[in-house]
Amino acid sequence: MMKGPVMNPVHGLARRGFLTSAASGTGLMALAHQLAGAAPVANPLSPKPSHAAPKAKACICIYLEGGPSQIDLFDPKPKLNELHGQKLPESLTKNVRFAFIQKEGARVLGSPRTFARHGGCGMELSDLLPYLSRHADDIALVRSMHTEAFNHHPGQLLMNTGAPVFGRPSMGSWLNYGLGSPSRDLPGYVVLSSGRGTSGGTSNWGSGFLPSTYQGVLFRNQGDPVLNLSNPPGVDADIQEATIRALSSLGAGQYKHLGDPEIASRVESYELAFRMQASAPELIDLSREDKRTIERYGLDRKEPAIKASRGGGPGQFRSFATNCLLARRLVERGVRFVNLFHASWDHHSNLDNELTHNCQMADQPVAALLDDLKARGMLDSTLVLWLSEFGRTPLGENRGGSSNVTGRDHHPFAFSIWMAGGGIKGGQVLGKTDEIGWSILEDPVHVNDLHATILHLFGMDHLRLTYRFQGRDFRLTDVGGKVVNKLLA
Amino acid sequence: MTTLILAMLAAGADAVPLDSAVAKVLQTNCVACHRQGKAKGGLRLDTSEGLAKGGNSGPAIVPGKSSESRLMRAVSGTDSELSMPPKPRKSLSGQEAGILASWIDKGARWNDSTRLVASGQEAEPTKPHWAFQPVKRPKVPGDAVSLAAIDAFLRQRLASEGLSPSPEADRPTLLRRVWLDLTGLPPTLEEIRLYEGDQAQGAYERMVDRAMDSPHFGERWARHWLDLARYADSDGYEKDTARPNAFRYRDWVIEAFNANMPFDRFALEQLAGDMIPGSGPSQRQATGFHRNTLTNKEGGVDQEQFRVEAVVDRVNTTARVFLGLTLGCSQCHDHKYDPFSQREYYEMFAFFNSDAEIDLPVGQGPEHAVWQKAMDAHAAKVGQTEDRLKTLKASGDAKAVAAAEKDLAALKKSAPKPPVMPTLARGPERPTHVMIRGDFLRKGTIVSAGTPAVLPPLNTGAQPTRLDLARWLTGPENPLTSRVIVNWFWSKLFGRGIVATLEDFGTQGEAPSHPELLDWLAHSYRLDGWDTKRFLKRLMVSAAYRQSSAWRADLGEKDPYNRLVGRQSRLRLEAEAVRDVCLAASGLLSRKVGGPSVRPPQPAGISELTYANSAKWVESKGEDRHRRGLYTWFQRTSPYPMLMTFDAPDANVCVMRRERSTTPLQALTLLNDPVFFECAVSLGAILKAESGSDASRLRQGMLRSTGRPPSLDEEATLAAFLTTARAKLAGKDDAEAGAWTVVARLLLNLESVPVRE
Repeated sequence: MMKGPVMNPVHGLARRGFLTSAASGTGLMALAHQLAGAAPVANPLSPKPSHAAPKAKACICIYLEGGPSQIDLFDPKPKLNELHGQKLPESLTKNVRFAFIQKEGARVLGSPRTFARHGGCGMELSDLLPYLSRHADDIALVRSMHTEAFNHHPGQLLMNTGAPVFGRPSMGSWLNYGLGSPSRDLPGYVVLSSGRGTSGGTSNWGSGFLPSTYQGVLFRNQGDPVLNLSNPPGVDADIQEATIRALSSLGAGQYKHLGDPEIASRVESYELAFRMQASAPELIDLSREDKRTIERYGLDRKEPAIKASRGGGPGQFRSFATNCLLARRLVERGVRFVNLFHASWDHHSNLDNELTHNCQMADQPVAALLDDLKARGMLDSTLVLWLSEFGRTPLGENRGGSSNVTGRDHHPFAFSIWMAGGGIKGGQVLGKTDEIGWSILEDPVHVNDLHATILHLFGMDHLRLTYRFQGRDFRLTDVGGKVVNKLLA
Repeated sequence: MTTLILAMLAAGADAVPLDSAVAKVLQTNCVACHRQGKAKGGLRLDTSEGLAKGGNSGPAIVPGKSSESRLMRAVSGTDSELSMPPKPRKSLSGQEAGILASWIDKGARWNDSTRLVASGQEAEPTKPHWAFQPVKRPKVPGDAVSLAAIDAFLRQRLASEGLSPSPEADRPTLLRRVWLDLTGLPPTLEEIRLYEGDQAQGAYERMVDRAMDSPHFGERWARHWLDLARYADSDGYEKDTARPNAFRYRDWVIEAFNANMPFDRFALEQLAGDMIPGSGPSQRQATGFHRNTLTNKEGGVDQEQFRVEAVVDRVNTTARVFLGLTLGCSQCHDHKYDPFSQREYYEMFAFFNSDAEIDLPVGQGPEHAVWQKAMDAHAAKVGQTEDRLKTLKASGDAKAVAAAEKDLAALKKSAPKPPVMPTLARGPERPTHVMIRGDFLRKGTIVSAGTPAVLPPLNTGAQPTRLDLARWLTGPENPLTSRVIVNWFWSKLFGRGIVATLEDFGTQGEAPSHPELLDWLAHSYRLDGWDTKRFLKRLMVSAAYRQSSAWRADLGEKDPYNRLVGRQSRLRLEAEAVRDVCLAASGLLSRKVGGPSVRPPQPAGISELTYANSAKWVESKGEDRHRRGLYTWFQRTSPYPMLMTFDAPDANVCVMRRERSTTPLQALTLLNDPVFFECAVSLGAILKAESGSDASRLRQGMLRSTGRPPSLDEEATLAAFLTTARAKLAGKDDAEAGAWTVVARLLLNLESVPVRE
């Protein structure tokens, strides 16, 4: 359907600015444009119709970088404790490549976690997730995810962009490209990050070959929420407003003189920037949230000390909780896609301590976010995702032949993610793995299938949401993808 | 309907013909794609030799064992990856499959020289795609002399659409256009005076020459080329380790453009500088072109996987830059649209598969001298320590001896490393396999180096090398390279290519808007010995280039993309140039050319996004804070935000055509980023210090930022803004300086500052 700028004239025109969008307000440019008698032009981010009636209108994607251990969180395998310390039959590991495990001495690693059934559906979840467990009936747990990539960066690219290579647009870019964003004063795709930084950096929320209008805008939870949002020292709001007005007036003159719609577009972008300067600080100002909300998200929780830097060092409890609360506030203000990253969950060693620590950080605020969305009647139209690039092995990691095994290696063949809200049928477990969690037995879901399903929830057909680049029509689902109907409400 | 056509060649005495029922099954279902000239998957089923040889994935049949034959797996539909014939063609009937199976089980007898022809497909469409046809010098329309040829072609087409070209732009616009296009910088005040003072015939040409002779010419065109070369200062992927020596390749490109190196030589040195007879350090340095591929040092990666990925990138980049082909599509399967098979992809792959990444010491020069000096000092220190050790040993003080030995060992380890340059060179021979589905672990048949059959042959010996490939690319027969490159140059000066899809000259790319002009340019460029400056000047002296860029309603309606060049294009400058223009306008710009990449100020919290916060951003000092954008350190996992906000490519793959987006983040950058505010402060100070009236100072500011004086309306708006600023700042410290700073900030944010008219 939609094509790249060169191939399709309509897109080129669509690129031309903010003039007639809801966001344009009554700027001088809009007036000048009308005076010039030019045809209306569309904001590239103004809302566009979907292929079918959507269930989801916004998405909050919580991305736990590194590969949280599904065996210790979502997919109980008591058999592992029986087999603890034993070798696996060679038939299982023969053709498998590991990142760090040395096959010869590899032994099964049991789990100290206890699992209990939760909710009406009786979903089994780990004792590390007491808060989330209360939402068992809201979430669809997928125990049968699989991916090809077994290194972090390619895996992250695959999970976020649909292909394990650089240069592809991420989920949020595709959604904004296909659907626009209802937000008046904020970008349609916002990224919030905590922890030590992801392997993939900005490529995880890049717009790839799509115009950069669609890229994720990294908000920070300290200092400016948007880069360069504050005026330079000595420039107050009055002067800023006078500057924007003068720029609009000068731009309008130039536009009348030269008639290039791109002039209108550029001046309108200044007007939106000015509105963002006003709206973004209000967004991150949590002082008007009631105290109980702050408590529920756990912003001021005491953070236990841990001797590990993998999770990003001290301060992550507050940072992660703040991001969860900001995610709700962004969606409330019409932002289409919020991407929350935390790094890292890459527990090659010291798994028990560090996974416990990370879960203490994430469990409460994520559950509070689900509560909050539900209480505000927003969960039905807001899709919440818990994702990572892969899971972890039932084998302990014996890097360098080490016998001191305290962690697990990367496991792409079977891992768990969950989804909630936005047209997802909660209270179900999809997929089944074998008794040690090595392979999938039922309902395998590939990353491309997950993406096809997400687009479907937004009323988009993953086969029709395309962009022509370098001679090919690209899709979020690359060359694969099937909607997983069992996940739909 | 199914006529068995037998091309009977000399049949041997014991020749066994193919069973006619089997022949019919193959002709009906298989031969259309598996035949001479179109061996999909590397497999031919139209001759007994082809059948015996098998395809990319291996043998097609095992005589006597149909159950072990790939052919049967493929046609039975049991293997989802290998289901033949592909949709929408009909699957084989049970009877047809049975005929094949029983023939295989009986030994698959066939050894005569019959060549099968697909049913109903006797004749092939013959006319090749336009871009694969030879470049011919077309006749210039009318009786124009060659200098005006460009305009003759363009005007003929415009006239046929009932359109006329636009008038020439005014002198200040032309001056700024030429300097921005050729150097990426606005004209200096001195150049403005020179051009104003030269009203004689040929002033424009002289001005173009001055811009071409500027050392900044090389910087501008190098930056364009670096997009193709996917140049960056770090490895990419998780660890994203620094590449402190990558800049040497960048400097080589700058020097090559400044020296006006002929393009065929330019290509040759970058692709095969290590193999040119008598090559020296400079040619070696040029091979850094293909060292810009990503490197994954993440723990636990399979090194072979990422070596293969680097080679894949080299093949794809070479094909895109020089041939304008999306060859990468055939990495995993035969190309869906263009006539390239997967086997041909790996034949190209073979040219690069035995290369090694070698860091060579830089040759003699200032850098080497600095290292030599440090090395001498180090050697002296080692000598002193050894002497001390000798004395101590004589004294018999065991504790002191141990300490001195430790010192010596540490010292020896800390010898200064010689400066090196990244190069590509021949390594040990590696066999090249077709990789089934592009998977490096699934090795198919072995292939040797070769170029795609649809292009003119590579006339070399049995074992063609990378050097042969490089020569073939710019050889007189090659229909693509000259077209692709002139089109790329054209796009930089006109805002879009004659072929709009600069990176795709295949059947899925756009057809040229002016095919004859394209060929005329390609032919002229080669005829002129690939003389780049001469070629660019040819474009720039044309009336088409010198047209006004003002929007025209008639053109807007009939030709919204300006394909017909009825006017010039108004272009938002590239990210680096946006920075450079503001630094230049405010008098801060450092004009130093070349050297290691620098780290100008960037907002806090950016480099923290890298792996474990590993890429520390230590701000450069002195003039290095104000170097041109192309010298900004490019860290792949946390690129300089200003560059990315203005659509700089991410340097992960070759990019021939940048996006030009317009976002509020760009506005925030120009208004508030510390670098741009520093520009405003500096320009404000300059204006405040000028003598003369407010009006003349405002005019001066407008000239500096946009290259043109303000209109009457603009003058009034600017004056009113100055008054407002003074009023708002009244009573504050340095109120007058503050007022001029905010005026300068306004001037640097004018719509036309980051625009080439």
